Amino acid sequence: MAVKLLLVLIRNDLGIAFKNKSFFLILFIPLFVFGSLYLSDGIDAGASKLKIGLIQQAAYVPAITQSITASSALIEAVWVRDEKQGVQLLKEHSLDALLTLDDKASDGLVLVVLKEYSLKTLSIVQLFSAMQKTAQGDRTDWITHIQSLHQGGVQRETLPTWILMLVLLVGFVILPAQVAEEKEKKLLLALLQTPIHEMQWLLAKVALGMILIFSGVLLLHLLSRFPPPHLGDYLTFVIAGSFCFSAYGVLLGFLCRTQASARTLGMIFYLPHLLPSALSDVSHQLSAVAPFLPSYWLYGPLQATLLEDGRLVDSLYDWIYLVLLGVLMLWASYALMKRRWLM
Amino acid sequence: MLLEIHNLAKRYDCHRGLAPISLSVGSGELIAIVGHNGAGKSTLLKLLASWMPPDEGSMLIEGIDSRHRSAVVKKIGFIPEVPNLFEFFSVEYNLTLFASLLNTPLHRVETLLGEFKLTSHRKTKVQALSKGLKQRVSIARALLANPSVLLLDEPTSGLDFETTRDIYLLLGAMHRAGKTIIFTSHRPEEIKGLATRILLLHEGNLAFDGSTQDYFQSAPHAQLYAWQ
Repeated sequence: MAVKLLLVLIRNDLGIAFKNKSFFLILFIPLFVFGSLYLSDGIDAGASKLKIGLIQQAAYVPAITQSITASSALIEAVWVRDEKQGVQLLKEHSLDALLTLDDKASDGLVLVVLKEYSLKTLSIVQLFSAMQKTAQGDRTDWITHIQSLHQGGVQRETLPTWILMLVLLVGFVILPAQVAEEKEKKLLLALLQTPIHEMQWLLAKVALGMILIFSGVLLLHLLSRFPPPHLGDYLTFVIAGSFCFSAYGVLLGFLCRTQASARTLGMIFYLPHLLPSALSDVSHQLSAVAPFLPSYWLYGPLQATLLEDGRLVDSLYDWIYLVLLGVLMLWASYALMKRRWLM
Repeated sequence: MLLEIHNLAKRYDCHRGLAPISLSVGSGELIAIVGHNGAGKSTLLKLLASWMPPDEGSMLIEGIDSRHRSAVVKKIGFIPEVPNLFEFFSVEYNLTLFASLLNTPLHRVETLLGEFKLTSHRKTKVQALSKGLKQRVSIARALLANPSVLLLDEPTSGLDFETTRDIYLLLGAMHRAGKTIIFTSHRPEEIKGLATRILLLHEGNLAFDGSTQDYFQSAPHAQLYAWQ
């Protein structure tokens, strides 16, 4: 009898988990992680090759170019017009590194990379060291200096990822649950018994999201003791990003009847927006997928502004995209609110 | 007329919620809407309170179309069956918040706390209150803007005999003070001595509209509540 009751309760709990979509979340996470790993591992042999940029006019030591050509299974040489074009391709993740001549050491090379402290940089240095030893024996390493486009240490390099995580956490986890709670407990309907306009309520929720994001971002900068290089440009981007994802979160909340559903739906949006963008630095395939996600339109400019001395004018289209997407989300929420959707 | 309803109707996904209904409510009436569960009582009140948009029909409050939400919102106070208060906050906070949103002077909060015997509970969080006290706070909140019409959905649902009597005494006192009140109940015998007019809803249709005295002698009442 006791076992039967237990089974009845378990069936009931599973029914609830199915109803509030927690069950789908459990299925979704492994599927998503598997998909991401498939992309970042690079099953395609071509994708696992290191793309090394070489400058057309530079007088590389013949042994270097011969070694690179001989290692075509591991390295793909990409000839660029000049250093400027190489840096641009590096920033676009079309190259893994760029080799320039070191003015201070004859036959020496400068390895230009996005991040100095990364597994990719380490593997490039090891590979070139091995090629040099094979070609020339115990002479000095070809790579005499590493130049990182991202300035600062690991803390600073990972800052855009933490900021993106914070923005998405507020947008996809905190706000949808809060909106759904107010709907579920009929608090929103109580507020609409007052002369407030629907848009005022929506803007208040978006403002809450933006305040939470700004508080978190401020604390991150205080703890990492890293002031943004161009404060005005940076703030303009954080305002656009926090507005966009707060409005996005409010809409997700509106699509759900209960808090439990909102939490599940939020998580389903959170991971796919976070991981491809945050991992795009380490994978060619993810960097190809990431631009299709709104989160990348915030992550890319954040990275450029914080680490690559980028300015607002360089990412103006991203800024406009984020603002327009935020406005669209806000308008959709307003339309649902007017219809008292799932209220 | 204080309230004029023309062919107000609402359909739910698979069954009819409320068939088109037309009626008028005069100032100072105390109307009980009775009927079995699913008859459409709550749907009618929610439509009157603009909690949901009607599928068809319209409603005028003091001559103003209810679709002009900002113009009519202070004219109607709605108390749902389950009090929708901010549970984590105190009684006083809940009333003060809505007083601010309704642009009502804050001394009105003090007056209502006193009138509804809530002064000793003013700092208590709503979640710690009994259901009867929550209902009092809910009614006090609905009265903040001094609305012309007060709508109460099953105001005594789940309350014990004592608290039910207190709520009905409160409704009677508000009615004597000149307030127009419309409330729902699925127990007509309880409201015999209270309502001045009764609307009987049955399967979404208005089956009776008349005085309390006439209602209890009517055929629809006899058919629907024969066992009582």
